[in-house]
Amino acid sequence: MASSKASRLGEDRRTRMDKVNAELVVLTYGTIVAQLCKDFDSDYVEVNKQLDKMGYNIGMRLIEDYLAKSNTVRRCSSFRETAEMIAKVGFKIFLNITPAITNWTSDGKQFSLVFDENPFADFVELPDDGRAQDELWYSNIMCGVLRGALEMVQMQVEAHFVSDVLRGNDTTEMRISLIRYIDDELPPEDD
Amino acid sequence: MVVYSFYIFDRHTECIYSKTWLPTSSDPSSGSGPATATATTTTTNHNHYNPATALRPSTADDAKLIFGAVFSLRNMVRKLGGDDDAFVSYRTAHYKLHYYETASSLRLVMLTDTATLSMRNVLHQIYINLWVEYVVKNPLSPVEHKGGVGVRNELFELGLDQFIRGLI
Amino acid sequence: MSYYFAIIGTQDNPLFEYEFGTSKQGGDGQARFSEQARHLNQFVLHSSLDIVEEVQWTNGQLYLKVIDKFFNNYISCFMTGGNVKFLLLHQPTATAAGATRNSTSVGANPTSPQTEEAIKNFFNEVYENYIKAIMSPFHKVNMEIRSPVFRQRVAAAGRKYL
Repeated sequence: MASSKASRLGEDRRTRMDKVNAELVVLTYGTIVAQLCKDFDSDYVEVNKQLDKMGYNIGMRLIEDYLAKSNTVRRCSSFRETAEMIAKVGFKIFLNITPAITNWTSDGKQFSLVFDENPFADFVELPDDGRAQDELWYSNIMCGVLRGALEMVQMQVEAHFVSDVLRGNDTTEMRISLIRYIDDELPPEDD
Repeated sequence: MVVYSFYIFDRHTECIYSKTWLPTSSDPSSGSGPATATATTTTTNHNHYNPATALRPSTADDAKLIFGAVFSLRNMVRKLGGDDDAFVSYRTAHYKLHYYETASSLRLVMLTDTATLSMRNVLHQIYINLWVEYVVKNPLSPVEHKGGVGVRNELFELGLDQFIRGLI
Repeated sequence: MSYYFAIIGTQDNPLFEYEFGTSKQGGDGQARFSEQARHLNQFVLHSSLDIVEEVQWTNGQLYLKVIDKFFNNYISCFMTGGNVKFLLLHQPTATAAGATRNSTSVGANPTSPQTEEAIKNFFNEVYENYIKAIMSPFHKVNMEIRSPVFRQRVAAAGRKYL
């Protein structure tokens, strides 16, 4: 019930958002990744790191837009609810996709997002240099976005891709683990 | 309705923006700062008291006092009313303080006269229409606004001033 | 009927080439070029680039139909808006060509409207896939197309129409 409510909220907010041509996004993001690969001389580990960093900075801003657009007034009561909101509201309003939430660990602190479509990866074929297929996580910016956005709402998480259709895997799957809830920062003591 | 002043605190508890709408005066006859006011006072003796002048020692100190007060109140409210409870405002004999906190720990505080109704919605509008649009979405402003960097841009200042003047 | 298909970049540099045979009328899809002809094909195809330049402005179409003929080799051309040329060399099997001069079947008569239409469909399908291939962010202008997916799709289009 809560989950269908989240879906409705996501759909509702998405229709109110300004839209941008999907191919513009694909080409823009593709250019960024390709340029990073060039700048770092195809050091894909470093490219992943840079994408994550860019995403982190985006996420820290994007969360404010998300909060404003989704009219969120209270915090999620559990990490499960957070996952629902990420998949059904966040991804819906910003990318118009709804990844499936699966593979919860029993302690409720880790889950996977499975993407059956990925708007960043249309037309993309990884370079066939024999390494990109094993080292580059093309959509790694999303991990950073989630990490940055959740940090702003006091959740420290770790996110990484475990499989990607671009690499020839059957699914595109991102693993997200909650490390801890961040406490409120206290004002510095007055002298 | 009169709006006296407005403050924004970031998640690092720093005051990154403040603005007052009354002309500053150097009248040192002020008594109590906001932190010492009692939260539930309902007396109504308006003896030409002007909070803007009461808040004179220095704006930086005001901000610290205000933050301390709202932070403690918010924690107390949550302790008593549960985590979902939110502290909205308090009122003294001379002014009313409105408080709004976003999920990203941004805190907006506004001081008005005592007759003003809830400004929660107004603060929410400032957040979504001014803060998010002009500060967060400004690619040239940094993500963290240490020392208020990036907040005091023209669009935000102008938008805020017009919005507040539109209310009065 | 055998085909030799090539994509030529804006610097007259080859980007992609693929050889195949007809799949119509019981064809097995294998090219039947002689070893010598295979080398010659590349020359024949590239020599027609001059003709392409002559005819490309004569009509506003992307598909320029048969533009050149060298003995029994016919060259059809399709130009993309970005000045990349798709060239298809088609060579009717020597014996079949004589016997069925008036046949309307695709391939037997290289200049019949049916053949023109079939080649047009082939070019259009390749064009669609070509756009997808060059939209990949790792592809650069005038870079050789190495994508195996694209090769498969060209092969599929060849089977479907030719």
